[in-house]
Amino acid sequence: MKDQQARPAEDAPARNTRNTGPGRLLIAVYGVFAISATARAGYQILTKFSEAPLAYLLSAFAALVYVVATVSLAKAGSTWFKVSVAAVLVELAGVLVVGTLSVLDSVQFPHETVWSLFGRGYGFIPLLLPILGLAWLYRRRPSQAKAAQ
Amino acid sequence: MDAYFWIILVVGLVSTVLCVGAGILKKAPNDVTILSVAAVELALVVYLVGSIVRVIAGERIAGEAWEFWGYMATAMLLPPAAAYWSILERTRWSNFVLAAVGVTALVMAARMNQIWY
Repeated sequence: MKDQQARPAEDAPARNTRNTGPGRLLIAVYGVFAISATARAGYQILTKFSEAPLAYLLSAFAALVYVVATVSLAKAGSTWFKVSVAAVLVELAGVLVVGTLSVLDSVQFPHETVWSLFGRGYGFIPLLLPILGLAWLYRRRPSQAKAAQ
Repeated sequence: MDAYFWIILVVGLVSTVLCVGAGILKKAPNDVTILSVAAVELALVVYLVGSIVRVIAGERIAGEAWEFWGYMATAMLLPPAAAYWSILERTRWSNFVLAAVGVTALVMAARMNQIWY
Protein backbone atom coordinates (compact mmCIF):
# COMPACT_ATOMS: atom_id res chain seq x y z
CA MET A 1 0.00 0.00 0.00
CA LYS A 2 2.84 2.32 0.79
CA ASP A 3 3.89 2.90 -2.78
CA GLN A 4 0.49 2.75 -4.37
CA GLN A 5 1.39 5.72 -6.57
CA ALA A 6 4.98 4.76 -7.16
CA ARG A 7 5.20 6.40 -10.57
CA PRO A 8 2.45 8.97 -10.77
CA ALA A 9 3.74 11.04 -13.69
CA GLU A 10 4.88 8.52 -16.26
CA ASP A 11 2.31 6.28 -17.86
CA ALA A 12 -0.41 8.20 -16.12
CA PRO A 13 -3.11 5.68 -15.19
CA ALA A 14 -0.41 3.06 -14.50
CA ARG A 15 -2.84 0.25 -14.08
CA ASN A 16 -1.94 -3.33 -13.64
CA THR A 17 -1.17 -3.97 -17.29
CA ARG A 18 1.63 -5.33 -19.40
CA ASN A 19 0.30 -4.59 -22.85
CA THR A 20 1.82 -1.20 -23.60
CA GLY A 21 5.20 -0.10 -24.87
CA PRO A 22 7.71 -2.94 -25.16
CA GLY A 23 4.99 -5.29 -24.00
CA ARG A 24 3.24 -4.84 -27.32
CA LEU A 25 6.27 -6.09 -29.22
CA LEU A 26 6.54 -9.00 -26.82
CA ILE A 27 2.87 -9.89 -27.30
CA ALA A 28 3.23 -9.60 -31.08
CA VAL A 29 6.17 -12.02 -31.16
CA TYR A 30 4.45 -14.39 -28.74
CA GLY A 31 1.37 -14.20 -30.95
CA VAL A 32 3.33 -15.17 -34.04
CA PHE A 33 4.83 -18.10 -32.17
CA ALA A 34 1.45 -19.12 -30.83
CA ILE A 35 -0.01 -19.22 -34.33
CA SER A 36 2.94 -20.94 -35.99
CA ALA A 37 3.46 -23.46 -33.19
CA THR A 38 -0.24 -24.33 -33.08
CA ALA A 39 -0.41 -24.77 -36.84
CA ARG A 40 2.76 -26.82 -36.92
CA ALA A 41 1.80 -29.06 -34.01
CA GLY A 42 -1.65 -29.59 -35.46
CA TYR A 43 -0.13 -30.52 -38.80
CA GLN A 44 2.40 -32.90 -37.24
CA ILE A 45 -0.18 -34.65 -35.09
CA LEU A 46 -2.74 -34.98 -37.87
CA THR A 47 -0.35 -36.28 -40.52
CA LYS A 48 2.54 -38.15 -38.89
CA PHE A 49 1.86 -38.55 -35.20
CA SER A 50 3.11 -42.15 -35.03
CA GLU A 51 6.56 -41.19 -36.30
CA ALA A 52 7.48 -39.39 -33.10
CA PRO A 53 4.62 -39.14 -30.61
CA LEU A 54 6.71 -37.62 -27.85
CA ALA A 55 8.16 -34.88 -30.02
CA TYR A 56 4.80 -33.98 -31.49
CA LEU A 57 3.06 -33.96 -28.13
CA LEU A 58 5.79 -31.62 -26.98
CA SER A 59 5.09 -29.46 -30.00
CA ALA A 60 1.45 -29.26 -28.99
CA PHE A 61 2.38 -28.47 -25.40
CA ALA A 62 4.73 -25.71 -26.56
CA ALA A 63 1.97 -24.29 -28.71
CA LEU A 64 -0.38 -24.24 -25.72
CA VAL A 65 2.22 -22.45 -23.61
CA TYR A 66 2.66 -19.78 -26.28
CA VAL A 67 -1.08 -19.27 -26.55
CA VAL A 68 -1.44 -18.88 -22.78
CA ALA A 69 1.53 -16.50 -22.65
CA THR A 70 0.16 -14.35 -25.46
CA VAL A 71 -3.30 -14.05 -23.96
CA SER A 72 -2.16 -13.50 -20.39
CA LEU A 73 0.35 -10.80 -21.35
CA ALA A 74 -2.40 -8.93 -23.14
CA LYS A 75 -4.73 -8.99 -20.12
CA ALA A 76 -4.68 -6.66 -17.14
CA GLY A 77 -4.73 -7.58 -13.47
CA SER A 78 -2.77 -9.57 -10.92
CA THR A 79 -4.24 -12.94 -11.80
CA TRP A 80 -3.21 -12.63 -15.43
CA PHE A 81 0.19 -11.47 -14.24
CA LYS A 82 0.60 -14.73 -12.33
CA VAL A 83 -0.58 -16.71 -15.34
CA SER A 84 2.00 -14.88 -17.45
CA VAL A 85 4.80 -15.63 -15.02
CA ALA A 86 3.81 -19.30 -14.91
CA ALA A 87 3.58 -19.57 -18.69
CA VAL A 88 6.90 -17.84 -19.27
CA LEU A 89 8.64 -19.94 -16.61
CA VAL A 90 7.24 -23.14 -18.13
CA GLU A 91 8.42 -21.90 -21.50
CA LEU A 92 11.91 -21.22 -20.18
CA ALA A 93 12.06 -24.63 -18.51
CA GLY A 94 10.71 -26.24 -21.68
CA VAL A 95 13.23 -24.70 -24.00
CA LEU A 96 16.10 -25.55 -21.64
CA VAL A 97 15.01 -29.14 -20.95
CA VAL A 98 13.94 -29.99 -24.49
CA GLY A 99 16.94 -28.16 -25.89
CA THR A 100 19.31 -30.16 -23.71
CA LEU A 101 17.54 -33.45 -24.33
CA SER A 102 17.53 -32.90 -28.06
CA VAL A 103 21.28 -32.45 -27.96
CA LEU A 104 21.93 -35.44 -25.70
CA ASP A 105 19.30 -37.92 -26.87
CA SER A 106 18.72 -37.43 -30.55
CA VAL A 107 16.94 -40.79 -30.74
CA GLN A 108 13.92 -39.69 -28.74
CA PHE A 109 14.04 -36.22 -30.25
CA PRO A 110 14.88 -36.72 -33.89
CA HIS A 111 11.99 -34.59 -35.07
CA GLU A 112 11.65 -30.88 -34.99
CA THR A 113 9.85 -29.11 -32.20
CA VAL A 114 9.95 -25.40 -31.52
CA TRP A 115 12.26 -26.01 -28.60
CA SER A 116 14.63 -28.51 -30.25
CA LEU A 117 18.27 -27.44 -30.07
CA PHE A 118 17.24 -24.42 -28.01
CA GLY A 119 15.03 -23.15 -30.81
CA ARG A 120 17.77 -23.07 -33.41
CA GLY A 121 15.25 -23.61 -36.19
CA TYR A 122 13.62 -20.35 -35.13
CA GLY A 123 16.72 -18.22 -34.80
CA PHE A 124 16.99 -18.99 -31.07
CA ILE A 125 14.06 -16.66 -30.49
CA PRO A 126 12.38 -19.35 -28.33
CA LEU A 127 15.35 -19.13 -25.97
CA LEU A 128 15.39 -15.33 -25.98
CA LEU A 129 11.64 -14.79 -25.54
CA PRO A 130 11.19 -16.14 -22.00
CA ILE A 131 14.18 -14.15 -20.77
CA LEU A 132 12.80 -10.94 -22.24
CA GLY A 133 9.38 -11.94 -20.99
CA LEU A 134 10.58 -12.36 -17.41
CA ALA A 135 12.44 -9.06 -17.56
CA TRP A 136 9.33 -7.31 -18.76
CA LEU A 137 7.10 -9.00 -16.19
CA TYR A 138 9.52 -7.97 -13.46
CA ARG A 139 9.43 -4.36 -14.54
CA ARG A 140 5.65 -4.39 -14.55
CA ARG A 141 5.16 -6.50 -11.45
CA PRO A 142 1.98 -5.59 -9.61
CA SER A 143 3.59 -6.13 -6.20
CA GLN A 144 4.69 -2.51 -6.28
CA ALA A 145 1.21 -2.10 -4.87
CA LYS A 146 0.63 -5.27 -2.93
CA ALA A 147 -3.01 -4.42 -2.29
CA ALA A 148 -3.97 -5.59 -5.74
CA GLN A 149 -6.27 -8.32 -4.53
CA MET B 1 14.04 -20.05 -54.17
CA ASP B 2 12.09 -18.26 -56.86
CA ALA B 3 11.62 -14.62 -57.76
CA TYR B 4 8.65 -14.26 -55.44
CA PHE B 5 10.82 -15.16 -52.49
CA TRP B 6 13.52 -12.69 -53.47
CA ILE B 7 10.95 -9.91 -53.90
CA ILE B 8 9.55 -10.58 -50.44
CA LEU B 9 13.07 -10.87 -49.03
CA VAL B 10 14.06 -7.44 -50.33
CA VAL B 11 10.76 -5.71 -49.49
CA GLY B 12 10.61 -7.38 -46.08
CA LEU B 13 14.16 -6.45 -45.14
CA VAL B 14 13.73 -2.85 -46.31
CA SER B 15 10.52 -2.61 -44.28
CA THR B 16 12.13 -4.10 -41.20
CA VAL B 17 15.15 -1.79 -41.42
CA LEU B 18 12.91 1.27 -41.86
CA CYS B 19 10.70 0.31 -38.92
CA VAL B 20 13.59 -0.58 -36.61
CA GLY B 21 15.26 2.69 -37.57
CA ALA B 22 12.12 4.66 -36.79
CA GLY B 23 11.78 2.81 -33.50
CA ILE B 24 15.36 3.57 -32.51
CA LEU B 25 14.80 7.23 -33.38
CA LYS B 26 11.83 7.13 -30.98
CA LYS B 27 9.32 7.97 -33.66
CA ALA B 28 5.71 6.89 -33.57
CA PRO B 29 4.46 4.84 -36.52
CA ASN B 30 4.20 7.17 -39.49
CA ASP B 31 3.41 7.03 -43.19
CA VAL B 32 6.83 5.62 -44.06
CA THR B 33 6.73 2.69 -41.67
CA ILE B 34 3.08 1.82 -42.29
CA LEU B 35 3.51 2.09 -46.08
CA SER B 36 6.59 -0.14 -45.90
CA VAL B 37 4.44 -2.77 -44.21
CA ALA B 38 1.79 -2.20 -46.87
CA ALA B 39 4.51 -2.91 -49.45
CA VAL B 40 5.12 -6.27 -47.76
CA GLU B 41 1.43 -7.01 -48.10
CA LEU B 42 1.58 -6.01 -51.77
CA ALA B 43 4.51 -8.36 -52.34
CA LEU B 44 2.49 -11.15 -50.74
CA VAL B 45 -0.47 -10.34 -52.99
CA VAL B 46 1.84 -10.65 -55.99
CA TYR B 47 3.00 -14.02 -54.68
CA LEU B 48 -0.62 -15.09 -54.12
CA VAL B 49 -1.77 -14.09 -57.60
CA GLY B 50 1.31 -15.62 -59.20
CA SER B 51 0.76 -18.87 -57.31
CA ILE B 52 -2.90 -19.04 -58.32
CA VAL B 53 -1.94 -18.50 -61.95
CA ARG B 54 0.69 -21.22 -61.76
CA VAL B 55 -1.73 -23.71 -60.22
CA ILE B 56 -4.34 -22.92 -62.89
CA ALA B 57 -1.65 -23.31 -65.55
CA GLY B 58 -1.17 -26.87 -64.29
CA GLU B 59 1.91 -26.58 -62.11
CA ARG B 60 2.00 -28.96 -59.15
CA ILE B 61 2.90 -28.00 -55.59
CA ALA B 62 5.47 -30.56 -54.45
CA GLY B 63 4.52 -30.41 -50.78
CA GLU B 64 1.14 -30.26 -49.09
CA ALA B 65 -1.02 -27.79 -50.97
CA TRP B 66 -3.11 -26.80 -47.96
CA GLU B 67 0.04 -26.17 -45.95
CA PHE B 68 1.23 -23.77 -48.64
CA TRP B 69 -2.07 -21.89 -48.73
CA GLY B 70 -2.21 -21.88 -44.94
CA TYR B 71 1.14 -20.15 -44.79
CA MET B 72 0.00 -17.75 -47.49
CA ALA B 73 -3.21 -16.83 -45.68
CA THR B 74 -1.44 -16.39 -42.34
CA ALA B 75 1.33 -14.30 -43.86
CA MET B 76 -1.20 -12.03 -45.54
CA LEU B 77 -3.00 -11.44 -42.24
CA LEU B 78 0.13 -10.18 -40.49
CA PRO B 79 0.64 -6.75 -42.13
CA PRO B 80 -2.94 -5.52 -41.60
CA ALA B 81 -2.97 -6.89 -38.05
CA ALA B 82 0.31 -5.18 -37.18
CA ALA B 83 -0.73 -1.92 -38.85
CA TYR B 84 -4.04 -1.91 -36.98
CA TRP B 85 -2.25 -2.56 -33.72
CA SER B 86 0.31 0.14 -34.35
CA ILE B 87 -2.46 2.67 -34.89
CA LEU B 88 -4.07 1.74 -31.56
CA GLU B 89 -0.97 2.73 -29.63
CA ARG B 90 1.18 5.24 -31.42
CA THR B 91 4.49 4.81 -29.62
CA ARG B 92 7.95 3.89 -30.82
CA TRP B 93 7.31 0.33 -29.72
CA SER B 94 4.65 -0.09 -32.33
CA ASN B 95 7.35 0.49 -34.92
CA PHE B 96 9.14 -2.57 -33.58
CA VAL B 97 5.91 -4.52 -33.95
CA LEU B 98 5.76 -3.34 -37.57
CA ALA B 99 9.41 -4.30 -37.98
CA ALA B 100 8.58 -7.87 -37.04
CA VAL B 101 6.25 -8.16 -40.05
CA GLY B 102 8.98 -7.99 -42.72
CA VAL B 103 11.18 -10.61 -41.09
CA THR B 104 8.26 -12.92 -40.38
CA ALA B 105 6.98 -12.57 -43.94
CA LEU B 106 10.34 -13.49 -45.42
CA VAL B 107 10.72 -16.51 -43.15
CA MET B 108 7.25 -17.65 -44.16
CA ALA B 109 8.00 -17.01 -47.82
CA ALA B 110 11.11 -19.17 -47.52
CA ARG B 111 8.98 -21.94 -46.03
CA MET B 112 6.38 -21.52 -48.78
CA ASN B 113 9.12 -21.89 -51.35
CA GLN B 114 10.30 -25.11 -49.71
CA ILE B 115 6.78 -26.50 -49.82
CA TRP B 116 6.24 -25.52 -53.42
CA TYR B 117 9.40 -27.12 -54.79
